[in-house]
Amino acid sequence: MLMTKLKSKETIASLPAGKIFLLSCHGCKEVGFPEREIQALRDELAASGRLAGEFVTDYICNPENMRLRLKSHLAEIAEADAVLVFSCGVGVQTVSEFLDDTRVYAGCDTVALPGFQGVTAAQYDCGQCGECYLNLTGGICPITACSKSLVNGPCGGGKNGKCEVDPDMDCGWGKIIKKLKAQGRLDVLRCPTQIHDFHTDEATKAAKES
Amino acid sequence: MVYYTKYELKNEEELRSVLQGIDNIFIVSCNKCFKEYSTVSEPEADAVAALAAAAGKTVTGSAKLDFLCNRVQTERKLASCIPTGTENVLVISCGIGVQTIADMQALPTFTATNSLNYIGHHGMALTKKTCGACAQCYLNLTGGICPIVDCSKSLLNGPCGGAKSGKCEVDPNKDCVWGKIYARLKKQGRMEEYLAQGVQTRDYGAVNVEQVKAYVAENRAKRYEGFYGGVHPAEHKDYTEALPLQAFPEPDTVILPLAMHIGAPANPVVKAGDCVKVGQIIGEQVGFVGAPVHSSVSGTVVEVAPHTHPNRGPGVLSVVIRSDGRNTLDESVKPNKPLEELTPDEIIDIVKQKGIVGMGGATFPTYVKLKPGKPIDAVLINGSECEPYLTADHRMMLEYADEIVYGLRAMMKAVSAPEGVILIEDNKPDAIAVMEKAVEPYSNIRVCAAKTQYPEGAEKMLIKKVMGRQVPSGKLPADVGCVVSNASTAKAISDAIQKGMPLIERAVTVTGEYIRKPGNYMVKLGTSVQSLIDYCGGITGEDVTLKMGGPMMGAPISDANVPILKGSNGVIAIAADHTAPQECIKCGRCVDVCPMELEPLNFAKYTDLGDAQTLLKLNIMDCFSCKCCEYVCSSKIPLVAKIAAGKGLVAPLLKKK
Repeated sequence: MLMTKLKSKETIASLPAGKIFLLSCHGCKEVGFPEREIQALRDELAASGRLAGEFVTDYICNPENMRLRLKSHLAEIAEADAVLVFSCGVGVQTVSEFLDDTRVYAGCDTVALPGFQGVTAAQYDCGQCGECYLNLTGGICPITACSKSLVNGPCGGGKNGKCEVDPDMDCGWGKIIKKLKAQGRLDVLRCPTQIHDFHTDEATKAAKES
Repeated sequence: MVYYTKYELKNEEELRSVLQGIDNIFIVSCNKCFKEYSTVSEPEADAVAALAAAAGKTVTGSAKLDFLCNRVQTERKLASCIPTGTENVLVISCGIGVQTIADMQALPTFTATNSLNYIGHHGMALTKKTCGACAQCYLNLTGGICPIVDCSKSLLNGPCGGAKSGKCEVDPNKDCVWGKIYARLKKQGRMEEYLAQGVQTRDYGAVNVEQVKAYVAENRAKRYEGFYGGVHPAEHKDYTEALPLQAFPEPDTVILPLAMHIGAPANPVVKAGDCVKVGQIIGEQVGFVGAPVHSSVSGTVVEVAPHTHPNRGPGVLSVVIRSDGRNTLDESVKPNKPLEELTPDEIIDIVKQKGIVGMGGATFPTYVKLKPGKPIDAVLINGSECEPYLTADHRMMLEYADEIVYGLRAMMKAVSAPEGVILIEDNKPDAIAVMEKAVEPYSNIRVCAAKTQYPEGAEKMLIKKVMGRQVPSGKLPADVGCVVSNASTAKAISDAIQKGMPLIERAVTVTGEYIRKPGNYMVKLGTSVQSLIDYCGGITGEDVTLKMGGPMMGAPISDANVPILKGSNGVIAIAADHTAPQECIKCGRCVDVCPMELEPLNFAKYTDLGDAQTLLKLNIMDCFSCKCCEYVCSSKIPLVAKIAAGKGLVAPLLKKK
């Protein structure tokens, strides 16, 4: 799950001047796309006579499809000093590989959202830590629900059930204890101290193989 | 393909310790995502069940589901599935699935898995490129090559110096990405620019948690607002939305197929050589679900013979009429009594006699809808026009608002409905304003402005959005007290009553990036699509797909010498798509967008396996081919065609019933 947000005005303004071709990807629009901001930027460029052309399409991360659809705009792109792409990082990389002697710029930053599948952001996140703690914590993830990813209980800094790092956030360990209490399972916290293994699966695999 | 599955089973020792403290276990397992869809059920659940049995535990039951993390669907599927006597739930899934189940119900919930920590995110289409979602895109500095994902060390300020012969020192099979970045920048003459940059420091706090949290909440609320799923494709309505409807020039000849509606084709009542007038009946209704056909011109019948039909292909019996250009009206075309004096039965009879069918594309005979045999609470007018490109209904609402309201009032009277609602998407604020003014005199009619979301106009979605009612599987709108009709249909009903004019013309949008002069036209039925395209300056470019209707539900037409029918709301010329379909990767996007809450990926799977029983069980017949699944499909699988084939497999089973 990804979300794209527009880079700051200053950052975009600092990109080389000249004529610009705008390419916007709408394929995952449902996943979060700064549509209005891009329209405003486009209007500004057009007003100052810097718009060499524009094109809105779906799934520019799909190289065959993108190439086919971009074909009728190649003349405009040749006229432009740069192509400014509004999409996630995958889309920008796909376009810059195709237009490999043209300056291709990213107009957006990409942010990961909770959830792996579908297009709706999930309510819970999985930190992919590789050693699931959910059995000890009543099904509430201490890696993602606790600001500090603590695995052995609360830090003690929570106030009125809120996190000290982010007062808008519930204390993850407060929730865990409430849930375990409700299920009469508080004794699971008598387990040995947990030590988080920060190895990646690739590193573990490589170590095993060598 | 790369195996992106996010979890693996704990080892036996770990599993035994999980099982130690628990008994009377219900096992829920996720069929995994982001993997090649080769098996329909995963082996882990059975392995865990066997282990539990060996440990002397009672397993009260199990469920294998797709996409556990899809909470809306999982809640529905698991409802009343967990038997009484269950004390613990054991989940086989990634961390998100486990947390979803743990939060959904009160029982202690355990996991039998560990997540895997692969790094990186692959694109939605099948591509090797990945994005680290670092929230501070560096591609502008690096010629569009990502240093975060592609450099083993995620270096931002140039190569580490450890590369040998262009290969990475961490993984000698990998090219040094900084070598590639250097080559690209040099080629574009950007080395100076690059070297003039300050030193880059990565901000690991660049992800604004507040923003993400707010976005997640909004995304979840928005996606499930009104109805589940749906998509919002690029609209492309700007080609024609501001262009008023123009009368299309009188055609020389019209071809009027006797099958322009769902149901039995009409029976021809004219023969070659006959003189006909505008509005004269030329085909009699056959059967209950059927509609008559009227002449759209005055002139001479040339032949009654098979012709190519845009949806049904060649060989459809049609009446061909050469126009005399005079447009002489038939005697039957005369105004009826005012609406106030008409009885419900008289209204229904007019709608039936004047050949009115659903003009949104489904072409179901409207009079049948007006005889629901059940109490109706509301008549809903679909003014959403959710298909991209099309603007015919939009223009109708702007230019014929009073007629649409008149048609709505006629339908409300016909079914004794106390309420009328006109639903318009919020991308047409001008139409909303005009219609709101038109309904002002009527306290029982309101305009509902809704978020733009395809397929809003599908009747079941519309009912859910406006009335908050769910039409059950296999049931009709009338079963929940609603009648749904298209805005153009309402206008046609108004013409039928106020002028006595049958359905002989309709609004058509001719558009697309490959039409030279797009526009909106009032077109006589039977006019050839080719003449519309010619009038609009022809098609520019090659490799164009021609469709009758919108890009989502419209039917592709290979031969433009076909007539405009009662359900033809548009003719579009858009870019062809030659993307080759690839294996399903179980990304779950289709399940997330299906407005009927179905599982399109499984329709494709079981259709390929020829398993009609399972297809029936998965409610394949509920699919109305909106194409949302195919639109978002990461692998570009032709899901709509697969589902059509699947329905073909299921049809014999339904007959047996």
